[in-house]
Amino acid sequence: MTQIDDSKAQLGLPRSGRLALVTGVLVVVGAALAFTFAYLISYPSTVVAAATASDTVVLQSVGAIGLGNHPTWVSYMAQENGNWVHSTVLTVPANSDVHFKIYQYDSGSPLRNPYMDQVAGTVGGTETLNGQVVRIVNDNADGGIGHTFAIPSLGVYVPMPGISSLQTNACSTPVPCATTFDHNTVEFTIHTGAPGTFTWQCFVPCGLGFLIGNGGPMSTFGYMGGYLKVVA
Amino acid sequence: MATDISVPASLDHGTPGPGSAAGRNPWWRSGNIAYGLVGAVIGYSIGHFLGNWIASGYQQVQGSGQNDLALVLGYLVATLGWLAGLGALNYPLQKLVGIQVTSEESEDIEHRKLGAYFKYTLDHKVVGVQYLFGMLAYFIMAGLFALVIRSELLSATRHLLAPDKYLEVVGEHGTMMMMMMTSAILGPFGNYFVPLMIGARRMAYPRLEALSFWITPAAFVVLLSGLLVGGFPTGWTGYAPLSVEATMGQDAYLVAFGLMGISMIIGGFNIIATVVNYRAPGMTWMRLPLFVWAMFVTSLLMALAAPILVGGTYMTLMDRTVQTALFDVNHGGSSYLWQDLYWFFGHPEVYILALPGFGIALELLPVFARKPAFAYRTAVAGMVGVGMLSFFVWQHHLFASGMNSDMRPVIMLTTEMISFPTGIIYLTAIGTLWRARLRMTVPMLFIIGMLFNFLIGGISGVFLSDVPTDAVAHGTFFVMAHFHYTIMGGYMFAFFAGIYYWLPKMTGHQLSQRLGKWHFWVLFIAFNSTFLPLFAIGELGMPRRVFEYQRALQGLNDWVSISAYVIGIGILIFVYNFVKTVVIDPRTPLAADTWGSRGLEWFTSTPPVATNFVHIPEVVSGPYEYGSDAGPMAVLDAGATELRPGATVHEGN
Repeated sequence: MTQIDDSKAQLGLPRSGRLALVTGVLVVVGAALAFTFAYLISYPSTVVAAATASDTVVLQSVGAIGLGNHPTWVSYMAQENGNWVHSTVLTVPANSDVHFKIYQYDSGSPLRNPYMDQVAGTVGGTETLNGQVVRIVNDNADGGIGHTFAIPSLGVYVPMPGISSLQTNACSTPVPCATTFDHNTVEFTIHTGAPGTFTWQCFVPCGLGFLIGNGGPMSTFGYMGGYLKVVA
Repeated sequence: MATDISVPASLDHGTPGPGSAAGRNPWWRSGNIAYGLVGAVIGYSIGHFLGNWIASGYQQVQGSGQNDLALVLGYLVATLGWLAGLGALNYPLQKLVGIQVTSEESEDIEHRKLGAYFKYTLDHKVVGVQYLFGMLAYFIMAGLFALVIRSELLSATRHLLAPDKYLEVVGEHGTMMMMMMTSAILGPFGNYFVPLMIGARRMAYPRLEALSFWITPAAFVVLLSGLLVGGFPTGWTGYAPLSVEATMGQDAYLVAFGLMGISMIIGGFNIIATVVNYRAPGMTWMRLPLFVWAMFVTSLLMALAAPILVGGTYMTLMDRTVQTALFDVNHGGSSYLWQDLYWFFGHPEVYILALPGFGIALELLPVFARKPAFAYRTAVAGMVGVGMLSFFVWQHHLFASGMNSDMRPVIMLTTEMISFPTGIIYLTAIGTLWRARLRMTVPMLFIIGMLFNFLIGGISGVFLSDVPTDAVAHGTFFVMAHFHYTIMGGYMFAFFAGIYYWLPKMTGHQLSQRLGKWHFWVLFIAFNSTFLPLFAIGELGMPRRVFEYQRALQGLNDWVSISAYVIGIGILIFVYNFVKTVVIDPRTPLAADTWGSRGLEWFTSTPPVATNFVHIPEVVSGPYEYGSDAGPMAVLDAGATELRPGATVHEGN
């Protein structure tokens, strides 16, 4: 039914020109695709908890990160080998007790549901707040709740009080914040099970400037949420 | 045989318009893609500057650290700059200031070079080809995103994409498919063939037609750029309040969808006006080809439904940029409002996708069955019925959204009612097949594949229209499998049928039938192997848009992912066939009327001359009188032998 029609130039180009055209298009499209997919698989920096008996993860929550694309956003930072890095991807060992220590520098507010004052999923069902072991915190106290550290898949939920509204020595950028600034120190231990990747996040709407506080840092990975990579 | 297919000067009736004598514009008024790109960059800079100037002091901008107004104005002014650079604004601006427009660009087919396809043109056939390439590019890009999704789902936990990127990819894939592909059939085939099939020399509004196409690259780039500003977490449905809270990628979604809405509106009105006003003598409504009927009803849906979408995206942009509270419950708005606005567009959109597919099926079946279309008037009534009812079913998407429970039975009833006209269309297609001696060409294979797939998609849709079943299946992969069966299995199979069927007329080149059959069988088997298991995965409880799932479902998911890669291989076969046949080694059909169709589009040269017909045909019978002695569909002017079916216009040229 058909015949090859190579005798005349198609689209004003000889065959070699058409081949060059197709090759050129393929190169451009390939480059664009490579760029796109390289972006998609680009992974944020990961903080590895020291594989020691203590297995301590050290974090701090700050009111404004002061760097990157969103300097005004509330965020977490993590400590690795004594240095603070902006990361919320944490690698911890499987089937271990992992100790968390979080310096909470942000202010807070009462929670919408007092049920969420309770600690859950930690070893002993407690957290240590400024040296005192507690099972529940009072979200109506001065400072309210700044953030919560929650790993839904592991049933972990830890409320972290905000700093007092009367504070005079709040940390502002640049981060990281030194411990000389007003803060609360929250510590707890969780027992990791089998390897896997688990989402962790804050459940306190704290995206200032966003509708009911749930946008921006609350919904953007790397600020008020991240991943806990439990590895064998 | 050498044939003269040039356009006689006598055809020019005095008023400059599409197809009239060519003239040369000064360079600064000529318009091309390079100028368009420069215009877009300048426009973005201006828009972004304006946004910063206006809103940088807003409390919300200072608090959130993101200036949505700057980005939105950047996108919008960039789009204006793009269109201005292309020359789209020359004519209206010249008319506005009273400059007499003395010439229009127009190129006869014989002199059409590659560059003609990269211009803002008034020739509906060039626009059709532009749409074809554009839609294929968008489809392939969205398909690659689908393969990325399936790659991530090879594992029950995150393993390929950065953790925050999965939803971005899902959103890009879904939006690109559902937004850009609304014009996959109407764009290339509707624009190219409606005038030819009704015996017209032109479209009613050729500038709007060209505009409808050239908006789509802008929408595509804006949508894709969303990845660079954080993506959007809402998927293709953009539900509030998440869409109001989300980061700046949501602006890209809203602007792009709004632009595509505008493209749909103007493209739809153009087809409506053309069909109403430009039919050849004797082309009565009941002689209209069924494909034209499908385009007409689809255009009505576009013109009536898309404004609601544009309004909704505009409202969300207002919430995000200038702090209105239309979707903010705390300040008197309603996030539920978006769902109504969106689906009032969104469900007619489902038929904007389905009807063109059926239009192609109903058009091609008589050609390959060599018998009249079964129950022509009933098929038309079915399409009109689907179009009308499609505006009364949208709330079935809201069954699980806390809607007034008293409304559920009503919407369930209307949704089930739409099965009747849909079923009528389907049965008329089957009726044409009844006792036919089928020619199993590649287009015919795709139509049969489409009918098979749509049956599964349609029947699974009936389950979802029932409130009790939907309450269980809502938000699962069952829904996902259902709409992929109807849209990809129906619409895209018909799209490929259209390409194999009409490409010889559009380009003068015929795709390899052997590779076409490979394309069909690989795609058909892999498609069913991909999406049939997803019904089971959905019934087993796997939710959409979540990349972590039960480990017990990994086997099924792996099967689906591997099948999806095979779909990719099928598409690659097509791309190879298309590029090789159309661009590198063109294959010319020996017969101008490649398939032996009675349609008016085959009454002209291949490819058609700039004015479509040297002599306007007079239609004397219906388009599907195969196997009868009705004679040809149209009568041509005496001596115009070059326009009769079977005339060979390639040889010797």
